[in-house]
Amino acid sequence: MDAQLFHIFRNTPLGRETLLQSIYFCKKVGASLIIYIPEFTKFLMYFENDVVQIDLDNSYLTSPETALKHAKELLDQGKIKARFLEPKNFTASTLPDISTNFDFMCCPRSISDLSSKIGLGYIGPRVRRIVNSARFPVLITSPVFKKWRSIAVSFGGSANAVNALKLGFRISRASEMPLSVYTHMENASRESYEEIIKNENHEEEMDHYVTEWHMFERGKFEENIYDVPHDALVVLGAYGHGLIRNIFFGSKMEKIQSTITNNLLIAGPNYGLGQK
Amino acid sequence: MRILRRWRHPASWSIFRLDDRLLLILIAVIVGTCSGLAAVALNRSLIAMFEWLHHFRHYWWSFIMPAIGAALSALFLDKMVKEGAGHGVPEVIYSVSRYGGLMRFRSSFSRLISSCLTIGSGGSAGPEAPVVMSGAAIGSNIAKLFSLNDRQRVTIVGCGAAGAISSIFNAPIAGMVFSIEVILGEWKAVNIVPIAIASVAGTEISRILQGNQIAFSHRLFHIGHLDIVACIGLAIISAVASVLLTRLLRSMHGVSKKAPFPIWVRAAAGGCAVGIIGIFLPIVLGEGYHPLRTMIEGAYTQGLGIVTLAVFAKILATSLTLGWGGSGGIFAPCLVIGSLAGLTYHRGLLLLWPSVPWVNEGCFALLGMAGLISGMLHAPLTGIFLIIEITGGYEVILPLIIVSVISTTLCHYIEPVSFYLKELVEKGQLLRPGTDARVLSDLSVQELLEKDCIIVKQNMLLRDFINIIKKSHRNYFPVEDEKTGRFLGMIHLDDIRSYLFNPLMYDAVVLGQIMDTDVKVVYLDDDLSEVLRKMDVNRLFSMPVIANRKFLGMISKATLLDKYRNELMVQTDL
Repeated sequence: MDAQLFHIFRNTPLGRETLLQSIYFCKKVGASLIIYIPEFTKFLMYFENDVVQIDLDNSYLTSPETALKHAKELLDQGKIKARFLEPKNFTASTLPDISTNFDFMCCPRSISDLSSKIGLGYIGPRVRRIVNSARFPVLITSPVFKKWRSIAVSFGGSANAVNALKLGFRISRASEMPLSVYTHMENASRESYEEIIKNENHEEEMDHYVTEWHMFERGKFEENIYDVPHDALVVLGAYGHGLIRNIFFGSKMEKIQSTITNNLLIAGPNYGLGQK
Repeated sequence: MRILRRWRHPASWSIFRLDDRLLLILIAVIVGTCSGLAAVALNRSLIAMFEWLHHFRHYWWSFIMPAIGAALSALFLDKMVKEGAGHGVPEVIYSVSRYGGLMRFRSSFSRLISSCLTIGSGGSAGPEAPVVMSGAAIGSNIAKLFSLNDRQRVTIVGCGAAGAISSIFNAPIAGMVFSIEVILGEWKAVNIVPIAIASVAGTEISRILQGNQIAFSHRLFHIGHLDIVACIGLAIISAVASVLLTRLLRSMHGVSKKAPFPIWVRAAAGGCAVGIIGIFLPIVLGEGYHPLRTMIEGAYTQGLGIVTLAVFAKILATSLTLGWGGSGGIFAPCLVIGSLAGLTYHRGLLLLWPSVPWVNEGCFALLGMAGLISGMLHAPLTGIFLIIEITGGYEVILPLIIVSVISTTLCHYIEPVSFYLKELVEKGQLLRPGTDARVLSDLSVQELLEKDCIIVKQNMLLRDFINIIKKSHRNYFPVEDEKTGRFLGMIHLDDIRSYLFNPLMYDAVVLGQIMDTDVKVVYLDDDLSEVLRKMDVNRLFSMPVIANRKFLGMISKATLLDKYRNELMVQTDL
């Protein structure tokens, strides 16, 4: 796999955990690591039909003199080589453009957006826009470094859930880790989900890679997520439903990320487009 | 739910997918209207702010008003919308050249607010560049909504810029010409039609909301032959003033960047300096349209010395405002400086040859405006059409052409690129369609990869290698490590010819011993211009492409030329 994972390094203990997670991911799937040590708190990512400005908090610029050293130490510990990305183009003098020609991107998980609530917070609009525009999946890491030993795909039957399933096959193939599929049945029968798999020509891969397919007929979605192993990489599709449905019923992506602390790999609607 | 989902994606509406040209024209109407509204909104806000702050201008502390405005403007851009300062036109040109006109949504309103704070409080800047950026960003985001491709999006960005300029000056042709000459840089029918429509829409919005007024009406000028000859001197003065403004703006920007203070403190310092200059020469404050009208009417009463001083003061004030972090454009300051330069020149002529019946000084003020605009932007047509439209007079056309053309030529000689493009050219980021840099930037190493190479291992015997040569049609063979798969070097048949014709070596030599390890390689994210430079310097026709220390394929000049030609044909519509 000649894949590349893009990681924005934060020179803090939280950033260390995130980089450790990226290193682990790269080693497992055989991807190479591209690290960006930001010099400014913002940068632009130009996608095919969108431009997203990433606004980082000031912690990303902590002790810039030690950032490279700390990142290299972690790479040495992980016995992995990485390339440090130097932006070549700037939209404005303090606004670098970062390439979007990657295969994965790592985004740290937010802790909480609301001071009145205790929780895991939200993915946030910026990461959501990356997920929505990018052809690459986004790795949202657990708050502390956590090795994953299996892969759990959340499959709800939508087109993006099929994308997530394909991504799960890809990760399972590269990492040689067992793959389980979790389906929260929403007014549909088991056969209808199997039909979707059949229509998408994934029956063979399901037989080959999937060790278990958990179907939940009862219970709330959040309750059923409890069955996902704590040390699984959870792969899910985003934007399976439209904005209006998300506003009224909430987003599955947000629900999952605010319920479990596992590493998440999120495939957006453009995942896989243009890939040969 | 399905209906609502379709409603969210106008790109899927069948009415818009009937014909691409019709689609562009329909979107141009929308974009021209929206950018026209943005321009009117800024214009009205500036008038309101001027009226509100006018009561405070006679206080001794009024010199800090531009400082407060510039600081608030910088804080708004830096902390709230997180954008850089400046007028934004280079950002629009950059996005058009490199990213098919993709712009952030926030740019559609950010510069309107920040420039309103800077100019309304007395900063020496103009509202035109901010509305250009706003209109362009509106166009870009509407194009995104309709899922237009890069080329269509670029046209719509041009429509936004044209609608904005047309609306703010009530000048549709100037808006159209500015957009094509400065923003897009290519005259093509496919661009001209939607941009013309957007200009009409923008102008019409302005006329509906603000009335069909000519910005700078004037009396009839009777231009003699001597006046036309004298225009050559005015063109030279305009060119000098343009170069001075360009250089001072850039040097102020450089000095400001080195100052160890936050951007808002720097902006405040610049604003404060402008406020102090404004105590003695109030003409430097704000966008300066009011004194401009007086000058064109020939009713500006100050003497030669004060007018000359005002030229330099306005140049300094504009550089302090924009160079130190204030927000706004150079269009209006150019008009003011140009007209002041015209007045200075006219009064100088009167002093030297008092008996000659020179045309009214308002005419020279107009010509000076065109000279400055043409010189600063290297856009003579924009200068000519803008002055004709904003003055509503055609009688000055001949001297106007002379001044614009000479000023542009002289400025081009001294400063080879315009103020808007200078920074982009220096960074190699100006990529106009059909140019070498643009064609190369639109190609990537990935799409030129040739993957038909046979990879060999370092421990392979020469005898085995000879069997491989028989199957291959290439002269190059990448060598990789057996265990790790890492790229180690290359074997070129020319380099090992002596071994190939010596059968004794067949079982004695392994490829690791005869491969070339000092190989120049290419990485996936390398710029093709850099790759070509490497090939030329090292006299190579092909190079290996490496990622993650692994061989991916070869890149060759022949394939590059093929793709280059195809891309050039696409960009030039051949």
